Amino acid sequence: MSMPHEDSASSHTQLSFNLFGDLLDSVIADVASECHRIARLGLDRNLEEEEEELRLSAQARERVADSCNSSEANGKYVVDIFGQTHPSVANEIFDCMNCGRSIMAGRFAPHLEKCMGRGRKARPKVTRSSTAAQSRGGVLKWYIRRPMNKKEGGPNDCHSMHPWSPRSTSICSKISSLIAGTIMRCLEAYET
Amino acid sequence: MFQRNPSYSNPTPCNHLADYKLRYGLNGYKSFQNHLKTTPNGRTSIQNPDSKLPRCGSCDGYEGRLYICLICASISCSNHTLLHNQSENGHDLAVDVERAELYCYACSDQVYDPDFDRTVMSKHIVAAVLEKSQSAERSSKRRRFGSIDLLDLKKLKPLMSVKDQRSKSCYPLGLRGLNNLGNTCFMNSVLQVFLHTPPLSNYFLNDQHNRETCSKRPIGQLCLPCDIDRIFSAVFSGDHMPYSPAQFLYSWWQHSANLAFYEQQDAHEFFISVLDRIHEREWKSRSQDKENGDCKCIAHKAFSGQLRSDVTCMTCGFTSTTYDPCVDISLDLDTHDFLSRNIASKSTKPVDSSSKSTLSGCLDLFTRPEKLGSDQKLFCQNCQEMRSSVKQMSIRRLPLVLCLHIKRFEHSFVRRTSRKIDRYLQFPFSLDMIPYLSSSIIRNRYGNRIFASEGDEIDASSKFEIFAVVSHSGTLESGHYVTYLRLRSQWYKCDDAWITEVDEEMVRNSQCYMMFYLQKIPNYKLNEDLSCLPISPRNDTFQQIAGCC
Repeated sequence: MSMPHEDSASSHTQLSFNLFGDLLDSVIADVASECHRIARLGLDRNLEEEEEELRLSAQARERVADSCNSSEANGKYVVDIFGQTHPSVANEIFDCMNCGRSIMAGRFAPHLEKCMGRGRKARPKVTRSSTAAQSRGGVLKWYIRRPMNKKEGGPNDCHSMHPWSPRSTSICSKISSLIAGTIMRCLEAYET
Repeated sequence: MFQRNPSYSNPTPCNHLADYKLRYGLNGYKSFQNHLKTTPNGRTSIQNPDSKLPRCGSCDGYEGRLYICLICASISCSNHTLLHNQSENGHDLAVDVERAELYCYACSDQVYDPDFDRTVMSKHIVAAVLEKSQSAERSSKRRRFGSIDLLDLKKLKPLMSVKDQRSKSCYPLGLRGLNNLGNTCFMNSVLQVFLHTPPLSNYFLNDQHNRETCSKRPIGQLCLPCDIDRIFSAVFSGDHMPYSPAQFLYSWWQHSANLAFYEQQDAHEFFISVLDRIHEREWKSRSQDKENGDCKCIAHKAFSGQLRSDVTCMTCGFTSTTYDPCVDISLDLDTHDFLSRNIASKSTKPVDSSSKSTLSGCLDLFTRPEKLGSDQKLFCQNCQEMRSSVKQMSIRRLPLVLCLHIKRFEHSFVRRTSRKIDRYLQFPFSLDMIPYLSSSIIRNRYGNRIFASEGDEIDASSKFEIFAVVSHSGTLESGHYVTYLRLRSQWYKCDDAWITEVDEEMVRNSQCYMMFYLQKIPNYKLNEDLSCLPISPRNDTFQQIAGCC
């Protein structure tokens, strides 16, 4: 009873195996043809320069990781190219152009905010902690909150589900992504 | 000297192809034209008119690659190509049925012919592609490359031909620290970039925006360019003490009410805001050039480019195209964090963190064809129905100064939190934007055929050289911006009031947030004294525009 059943199962297996083999052959030939064309027409001309840039970057990563880098630290004790040092809070004094009072540079912005009556009132609702004196003004904002610039309309989701890694500059990655794209096209073709 | 289509080269034909063309001309190609079948995603193949499965003449097989002889139209499979070639003298050329590629039996290799490709492309054009741009199309006579007019540059006085005697050192002019006025490092970092962006510095240092004549306009009209001009004067004065851009901050807050608060802010947002203000000011003062429609304000002359968005219907292949101006390009990081995290939670395999993010990867991500989900169906004019589509971005016209902004934040809808992506991004110092141009993307869509596609008339170089990097350290809520500038092949770190010399490696290793690249215009000499021009690391003939140093 089970024998014919097994036979048909194994022939199914064999059939699907053959089918997969044919598909794979076709995909590989496709990719080879595409890469051949790209290489022959010189469309990947910049490969050497790209490799060089990658190498330099990798080298830089290693070197900086090795040496213990203290220049990223608080700039209090750093001497600039002109041989000067500066306090961590700028101490130049000038007059406020709104009210005329003498203000220290490092405290100018908070003063101006109150002086102009701006800030808390005009600001749209954003949940972000207001800063302490340590951090010096660097924040990353939402892509959404751009007032005037017409955006290119790229997708805002940072976690797009495209499973294939985009092309990097090495040939292997190029080929693997070409294979991926070809497989997807094949599957689409077979869907329709 | 430019070639017409600089991005690829016409390969020399093999002897067999040359012979074939001499004897038969284009007749063989034309006979195939009717049997070409195109698909919406750009592939071409040969199809039998009666839809019978093509079979090899020798073995009756139908598997593998099949080739149709160009002369006698007999079909051979890959095993029997030589057989056909030997049996019939002179039958060297064939066409791959599956991919519509030329194949030479004698060379056993794929060969290329522009005339064949043109035949294939004409089928595509007839079948699917109807260009419909929604913004007004420009005449082809108009110069399409970077919007700065080269003639303008000739009028500008040569800069920096005399060394400033006051400076105690050999440091280039224009290096001056900017005091942090209280969480204003986002402003300082972008100002440092503006100070050393050649078109902007040329403009302001050549007195193109004169504060005297400008102030004669009615009081109450705010003018941010005047304040920028003031900063230029201060920074290029030769004075070494850090400058406080207080007047600028005051003006900017008056202009941008929604951004006027004492808090940490985003440098990119500030960048866009300043360009908008400069543009507004120019727009009010002079009537917009009606002929071109291109804005002539200095902000747009420097930074404005054009993006092309193609939406292709998956069913019929009809493509609708729109063009949008842009002053920068915001890129997503080519990272798989979300996906790999999902996988990792299901299996025991460790998350692969060895894959590196590169700028070219991000640009590839930006220009890849993206399938719009089934919930995002768009109306296809050809089918007159809602269809699922594929969208692809490309760059139609490159700006003179290319600003690339990396979106280093991600938002998790599940947890409703957002976080910064600290992932290292490799970025090159020399960048070739050819693969991301519309001409290349479109060509690639149709299988990289040798064909003069729209946009190939761009004469400008697509090569760029980096001159400034704005880097961020810290978290989304609290962090610090620093700018790295390259002047005369030396990198300087501008950290608020502190300007220090750094080596190239530190810049390569920094966490880039915005990168600024300048277009290389080949061998254009403004001035014989080019001592202030940076030397290209590869010592090629390209030179940058004479910039301030």
